[in-house]
Amino acid sequence: MAWAPPPSAAKLYRPNRFVSLPAELDPATYDTSPEKLRAETERLAIRSRLKRQYLLQLNDPSPPAVIENPALIRWVHAKSQNVYPTFRLTPRTSFLGAVYGLGPLLFWIFVLKADRDRKEKRIQEGKLKRSPFSVFF
Amino acid sequence: MAAGALRGVLWPRAAAGLRAARAALAAPAGARAASEMSQDMMPGPYPRTPEERAAAAKKYNMRVEDYQPYPDDGLGYGDYPMLPNKSQYERDPWYQWDQPDMRHNWGEPMHWDFDMYIRNRVDTSPTVVPWHTMSKHFLLFLSIMLIMFGLGEIYPSYRPVGPKQYPFNDLYLEKGGDPNKKPPTVIHYEI
Repeated sequence: MAWAPPPSAAKLYRPNRFVSLPAELDPATYDTSPEKLRAETERLAIRSRLKRQYLLQLNDPSPPAVIENPALIRWVHAKSQNVYPTFRLTPRTSFLGAVYGLGPLLFWIFVLKADRDRKEKRIQEGKLKRSPFSVFF
Repeated sequence: MAAGALRGVLWPRAAAGLRAARAALAAPAGARAASEMSQDMMPGPYPRTPEERAAAAKKYNMRVEDYQPYPDDGLGYGDYPMLPNKSQYERDPWYQWDQPDMRHNWGEPMHWDFDMYIRNRVDTSPTVVPWHTMSKHFLLFLSIMLIMFGLGEIYPSYRPVGPKQYPFNDLYLEKGGDPNKKPPTVIHYEI
């Protein structure tokens, strides 16, 4: 009897939301074309320029009190103050807004009301033990 | 450096709200309290023309070919670049980062979910055992155990039992019976 061949490593280690593709299975690792070389060189140039700016400020004899990181400032601004101006009402955003905004509210309204109705019914039928009110349990 | 920038998040936001309410007297809308960066260095709306894309790539210190904004479906990302969803664990541990604990360089564009991908939190490094094998094994085990426990609750199986028999006339004295009276006789056997 012939079993099916075992799944290939690329299929086993395929990336998903929680884990990324290993570098050994990524064809970009083995790419030695001149375009890739030029791209890497440009990225290195940007990186070195930024590093130079940072190290100049860091090793300054009279350094500034706080070395501001413009990337951090932009990230904070984008996540806090740039969301409302760039937000737009689309069918998807209005649906998500209703689900996340009204969903939990309505859910808990119905759950608590049903629970209290059931308790009230049991009290009317006399099944619930009503101990006298005490703050000390 | 991080604390100074982050402490300025809530305060300018509340201040901007107050200023919008008193629009006639206050500073123009969108003004920030404590930063020397001009408005064109800050994130803005989604770039529509190629010139805007090039300007945004330059603003974020990225190559124009690398710069890819989030798709424009109104969720509030603006022109922020979409970087690969990889955690900081995957970055080279031996390179001299400017911030070694975050594995992050000064001025490098940060992922939108940067605070999720730090090394104390989510780790997306490839696992030794494939993820899908792991999840399959775990879910199989969990579901089989849960089904068996559920079946055991619905159809319990144990040897025949009877009610527990207590000595000394069903513990007459221990349960508070009167010692002067004769207890009712309780016999648990038959001869």
